[in-house]
Amino acid sequence: MAELDPRAPTANETSWFCCGASWGPCGSAGGGACGNCSSGSRHCAWPNTSDACFSITRPDKCGNDVLRRTCGHTFYVKSLCGTTEIAVKIADCGPQTDLWCGEQSCCSGKCAKNRLLDLTPSAYSAIGNLSSGVMPVNIRS
Amino acid sequence: MADILGRRRFLSSAVLGTSATVLTATTIGSLAPEALADPVKLDVEAGAPDPNFVEGRITGIAGGLLMVTGSDRTLNQIHLTKATSVWKLRPTTADAARVGDGLYARGVRMPDGTLAADAVWLNIVNLQVHITSIGRDVLHLDHHGDRIVGHVVSGTTAAVYNNTPAVGDLSLLEVGRHAQVIGAWRPDTNEVDVATVYAAA
Amino acid sequence: MWLASAQQAVVGGVLLWASGYKLLHRNASAHARRSVLARLTGTERVAVAYRAVGAVEAVAGLLLLAPPVFAAEAYAAVALSAGMLGYLAYGRWRAPESSCGCLGDKHTPVRGRGFARAGVLLVLSALAVTATEPWLNSPLATVGVAVVEGAVVVALSPELDHRWLIPLRRWRVRRRHPLSRHAVEIPLESTIQQLWKSGAYRSVVEQLTSDLLDHWDEGEWRLLTYAARTADGPVTAVFAVPRLAYEPDRARVALVPVAEDIFV
Repeated sequence: MAELDPRAPTANETSWFCCGASWGPCGSAGGGACGNCSSGSRHCAWPNTSDACFSITRPDKCGNDVLRRTCGHTFYVKSLCGTTEIAVKIADCGPQTDLWCGEQSCCSGKCAKNRLLDLTPSAYSAIGNLSSGVMPVNIRS
Repeated sequence: MADILGRRRFLSSAVLGTSATVLTATTIGSLAPEALADPVKLDVEAGAPDPNFVEGRITGIAGGLLMVTGSDRTLNQIHLTKATSVWKLRPTTADAARVGDGLYARGVRMPDGTLAADAVWLNIVNLQVHITSIGRDVLHLDHHGDRIVGHVVSGTTAAVYNNTPAVGDLSLLEVGRHAQVIGAWRPDTNEVDVATVYAAA
Repeated sequence: MWLASAQQAVVGGVLLWASGYKLLHRNASAHARRSVLARLTGTERVAVAYRAVGAVEAVAGLLLLAPPVFAAEAYAAVALSAGMLGYLAYGRWRAPESSCGCLGDKHTPVRGRGFARAGVLLVLSALAVTATEPWLNSPLATVGVAVVEGAVVVALSPELDHRWLIPLRRWRVRRRHPLSRHAVEIPLESTIQQLWKSGAYRSVVEQLTSDLLDHWDEGEWRLLTYAARTADGPVTAVFAVPRLAYEPDRARVALVPVAEDIFV
């Protein structure tokens, strides 16, 4: 499977997660692996922020060679359906990529496989609807 | 109610029949998407708080105005209009909102500091869980060590297995497997009403 | 008394079992780094500390199991159990989402069952202090007690649920699935997934401003409405999607003008 080349965008799936002080079952989420994650900010989670992170998310099990990117790195994310692109900073470790190997979602004739990103509600809702659990996106550095 | 039915009839005839007063997709195609892209979305810096997004709990409701206290104690006022979608387990209307509901809202920040909401999601949660037990109309879930009770709602709860189209048949859910649950939290409890269960492959 | 003697075997056995994972498993270091212990010792020293704890447990367990009976062995077990309770309390307070790291490789945050298990071991260790003869002197009684008390320890161990509790529940669900009686209708989510794949959706997606506003069924169609904005002002985007068939290419869209935004 293709390595996430910093120059070329890749098509993968993203879901959304809550972090920081928040209501409901999110209340115990805390500031995430980077300590500053917040649901209302343009943040994301990445499956290879550290060795410890990688040992939990294991994107290699899905055939993805994911580059190490640490807290504060910026990604540009766009839904496969639309043209709006947003910028997000890594603020947490995630998603649990190896539990969803082979999963695919499609929009407007274009499909993407495997969950390589997780977005805060603020970021996800800027390019999609929170009522959907997963969305295909283009990710570039 | 008659208003809603009348509007629905009008919209049905617009899309299923023909109507000269309606813009169709072919007309829209002539408008460059870039010109219509909402510039507000692109303005927010990576890592920055999003001014057009609100998170918190409803502390007051006055007509079409929601008073929301954020988890960081900031206060926000959110205007709901007829063009605002409201989700509370399913698409619904503004009068479903209750004091105490958790909320995410996206819209446009007005000069007076209020948010004109395009979309509001009440009590929505997206949980990565393990199914620990299945009972009548209920899924017992483990969420990072915490117990959550997921209520199956007849006619609403759907399952997505291995990214096949969603179905209403939940009998393929297995105990011990990982799942993702989109649902509506029941405020101040450890219970959710389940909208969609994504069952891992 | 034979009951006190039997506790030597039970507590010794549990300590030996707990030490086995810490000392012998290849993932022990990785698990140690995710545990509460890492908060106490720092991640550089946690693997060594983890194995040291395992070594202490192994020694205590072997001493309890081996025939000469000394009250000191049981006191050591009491101290270990009391220490475990303190460790769990610290974990619950300072690192509630970290794993206990107590008994096996499953990630198990510190919860009530862990406290109950440590409390039970404390009581059994205290009882073992009063033993005067080796447990080998009354093997049958010991086995009986070990089976019962062992079952209690297993039941209080979330790390072991996957070995017995989950298979039991899975078997029960396979016999008769509790959710199988729900009517099989076409859920809304299925229609939305179909919409996403349609050309009709692609043609207007950049104009949509809201999530789903309303939906209703009409014959073979399911109608979905969203708010949208065009250069001419606000409109309602209404989609008609085949309800009973999976044919995204047949989906249609119309953009219907609305009056100015009306506050509810």
